[in-house]
Amino acid sequence: MAAILLLQGCGLIYDAVTTIHPLTRDELSSICARERLRVGIAVEPFRPFVFPAVYTNEGIRVTGLDIELIREIAAALTSYCNSPTPIVATLHVTRFPDLFIKMNERQLDLFVSSVSGTVPGTRPAGLWFSAPYFRNDGIAAIIQRPEVAERVRAQFQKQSENRDTRVAVQEGFAGLTVAVQKGRSSHLYAEANLKRIRMVICDSLPAAIETKDPIIDVILSEHSILEYVTKRVWQDWHLVTHTDGAPLRLTHADLSIVTSDEHRPFQWFLNNLLFHLEESGRLTQMRTRWIDAEYAPTRRATAEGLPLEVAQVPDHYDQGQCRLAEGS
Amino acid sequence: MLARSLIFLPFGLMAMLLWPHCGWAQPSQKETERTAELLATLLDAGRVVIERNQPLINDSQRGDKGFSPDVFERLVLDEFFRQTQIDLNWSASSLPLHAKDLLTLLLLASKEVVADAQFVINQRGIGYKNFIPATFGSQAARKFSKQSKVTIKQTTLDPRNLRNAPDAYEETVLRRLAHQPASTTPLVEWIDGGRLLRAMMPIYYSEDCLTCHGSPKGILDISGYPREGAQAGELAGAISIQIPVDHR
Repeated sequence: MAAILLLQGCGLIYDAVTTIHPLTRDELSSICARERLRVGIAVEPFRPFVFPAVYTNEGIRVTGLDIELIREIAAALTSYCNSPTPIVATLHVTRFPDLFIKMNERQLDLFVSSVSGTVPGTRPAGLWFSAPYFRNDGIAAIIQRPEVAERVRAQFQKQSENRDTRVAVQEGFAGLTVAVQKGRSSHLYAEANLKRIRMVICDSLPAAIETKDPIIDVILSEHSILEYVTKRVWQDWHLVTHTDGAPLRLTHADLSIVTSDEHRPFQWFLNNLLFHLEESGRLTQMRTRWIDAEYAPTRRATAEGLPLEVAQVPDHYDQGQCRLAEGS
Repeated sequence: MLARSLIFLPFGLMAMLLWPHCGWAQPSQKETERTAELLATLLDAGRVVIERNQPLINDSQRGDKGFSPDVFERLVLDEFFRQTQIDLNWSASSLPLHAKDLLTLLLLASKEVVADAQFVINQRGIGYKNFIPATFGSQAARKFSKQSKVTIKQTTLDPRNLRNAPDAYEETVLRRLAHQPASTTPLVEWIDGGRLLRAMMPIYYSEDCLTCHGSPKGILDISGYPREGAQAGELAGAISIQIPVDHR
């Protein structure tokens, strides 16, 4: 009797808790019920994964390899939910570092922004990184000024007997001003491995390209991104290669989808989908379409781009600035 | 007295909502034709303003461009005045019956498009943004048409955007216009036994348009579409307007 008296309010407490935080509902069911997939993408363009937003006949659209992947996820969710209404992917555009915060605050179901879970330091607590959707990427370097390229090449030549790329890069870049993007893999790599550089931390890749004070000698970022932009956007910058012309990678990185560490069924859903996309050749096809093929991003944005969640868009995107890292 | 006014005010508002046609006469055919002409001119004015501001919109060095909906509105009203000698702020009485409402609605739809595009326009470090007369016009026309019984559409014989493909009527008129000397006067016709007004205002390529639509034909322009090989003064397309006789 005493127990009944003591516990009679428990149901109400439980109801209140589940109303505030639906513990019993897994993420997949929530997405199905909501009919919306809340996806975070970085406002800083990471071509060819995410191109700058453009205006089309249908309104603002974003396109890129990451966007094509998001469409695949939304299509697979529509099939999973068995709903007559398609699951719509709504894009929350935010600064790259804020993606992690928004994900932790449950404002997003997942985010895709060409991030790597294989570089030490890129996996904050509470977040889960999927199986790779883009393999064999890595951190690479670009240089604009011929005298810097010559100096690096000479250092590489000296190190040619030594097959250790890391040592060659440490020697080659020693004393140079190297720009990285805040919080990205290149930043973590440089902090851990390039002690003798003058590190400059930039808010975005375009900021690193544009900044004149200090003058940037080298920019580090994902190889796939640097390869694209040096071919099509900033053609006066060049990828650093080995002395034999082979592409230089400072380390390998695979790119993953990021979601909450708690949603096990959703994690399996994503990994199973990525496995299927890889097995069926879709991932390879996407890679070829965005990395190797000739195309105009604006036309693709018109044909297959996704709209932005306008309420979630910053007033205007400013590519930000660069500043010297502490101790540099 | 004040209390009585407050009691009767809601009834008055309710009456307006329940019987919106009370006291409003259907416009005459001439008034409807004039309304169509003015609507086409207003959309064209918006297109002209977007075209003239391409260097600003695509300036990669600037973040906030200051090309706000209010600035756009002022420029459109100036351009509309230049083309029609009608000041939409002050000349309500000189406009055909009902035209003022429709022009206001189109102006609001156009401003909404510019407001929606602010994020794209104000990106720094990004050059070409595809906020061009065609994409502006498509969205403004669509937003307006959704809120009205009047339909506005941009159309051309060889559209890049298939939603702008001409219907049979538009195709016939466009073919006729392509062989006529250039004129900005809309072609106006009542069809369906006088129940539907169709108006087509031709648009011609200017020098500025040729960056994307000129020569060499077939070579991709900045947005990835093959250039049409057009020349200045050639017919680019038309603004097509449909007004049903019972559009109120």
